[in-house]
Amino acid sequence: MNIIGPDFLVFGVDDMESCRQYLTDYGLKAAGDDRFLALDGTGVIIKPKDDPSLPAALETPTMLRKTVYGVADQATLEAIATELSSDREVKRLADGSIESVDDMGFALGFQVTVRTTLSLPAEIVNAPGSSHQRAVNDIGVQKVAAPEPRSLSHIVYFVPDFARAEAFYAERLGFITTDRFTGVGPFMRPAGTTDHHTVFFIQTPPHMLGCEHFTFHMAGPTEVMHAGRNMVEKGYQSFWGPGRHLFGSNWFWYFKSPLGCNMEYDADMDLHDDQWTAREGAPGADNSQAFLFKYTEKWSPMGPPPGAKPQ
Amino acid sequence: MEELAEGEARGFDPLDEGQDSVFVVRRGGDLVAYRDICPHYGSTALPWRKDAYLDAGGKDIICSAHGARFAIDTGLCTAGPCLGESLIPVPLQLSDEGEVLADLNSNNSVGVVK
Ligand code: FES
Ligand SMILES: [Fe+2]
Repeated sequence: MNIIGPDFLVFGVDDMESCRQYLTDYGLKAAGDDRFLALDGTGVIIKPKDDPSLPAALETPTMLRKTVYGVADQATLEAIATELSSDREVKRLADGSIESVDDMGFALGFQVTVRTTLSLPAEIVNAPGSSHQRAVNDIGVQKVAAPEPRSLSHIVYFVPDFARAEAFYAERLGFITTDRFTGVGPFMRPAGTTDHHTVFFIQTPPHMLGCEHFTFHMAGPTEVMHAGRNMVEKGYQSFWGPGRHLFGSNWFWYFKSPLGCNMEYDADMDLHDDQWTAREGAPGADNSQAFLFKYTEKWSPMGPPPGAKPQ
Repeated sequence: MEELAEGEARGFDPLDEGQDSVFVVRRGGDLVAYRDICPHYGSTALPWRKDAYLDAGGKDIICSAHGARFAIDTGLCTAGPCLGESLIPVPLQLSDEGEVLADLNSNNSVGVVK
């Protein structure tokens, strides 16, 4: 199945105005109809939680109502429709997409992907010995920047049965497990991308069923830091980060949000193909990140001006 | 004490830690206060931005990390990750000067919240 990755996440929210402001401040572009888009056209759609066009709410307080996957072509869409209709309802929506549910009860949509192919440089670093560096006289960082999220990267779900979730995504939709945390769950990528993961499952009690976080890819670690700092300056509260994960190697910074889950910035995730053998690690802080930092206000070790009395 | 409107919540940093550690909600004329710690992980503050402790309708306290909901009057988690657990209550006292004092029992210090 040539599924590329998530095109949209659809939320049914409590406070539309706060979410609009938050998603815009995060760096997504308002594109009408409460769609907030990254540079490649993937993004977040918000609706009032009682909007009748939304799939039914879960019994848990999660505001996530649907994950819409982008697929390569119409033939893939038809193959998914055929596959899923063998044991569950598959709806055809007016926009040409199809809608069904996974084995956990999360609503899924599939559509011929709307994402555009980006042609943008990644953050380039200079290092002795490297043949790929910034051009001479190119500056690496600006004091003020408003980094733009490039593409919807991944979503993490709390699920009561990760083995069942993994089996559904592997056997029915062709996802591949790239790594796993023992007893917690797998990182998975659909066949149409080399990204380390577009989804990760975390085993929890059933009353937690929902979205832990989702994230967009940035140009590199500098953009993750800059975008995160902009969020802190705007008064948003960090949940975890900045830091760098081990599985996937992605840089991260998570923020709490009015969407009832965390929203992350990520960058520089590993890419894998079918040659890759999944690793397994024990869950916990030590395997969860290579390093973790904590934001503090700008400061400099300059000390008082020469001749001034120490305070 | 009159500053906080009905159905409003506010965070305080009584020990000058650089981030709010206690929040107060006014509900039905009463003030209730809790430590700003979500029982889900036991180390996370609740709001997504300063003072955003309540849902849009002012009905429940919410943790914005994973959407846990808590009853305002008891602090009991009624839905979400920490279902059945409770926020840590902070006893409030009214001082002679009309200040509200929060009794931060973990280290026996009393902080002025407003
Ligand atoms: S940390 Fe509060 S709900 Fe998860
Ligand atoms: Fe992530």
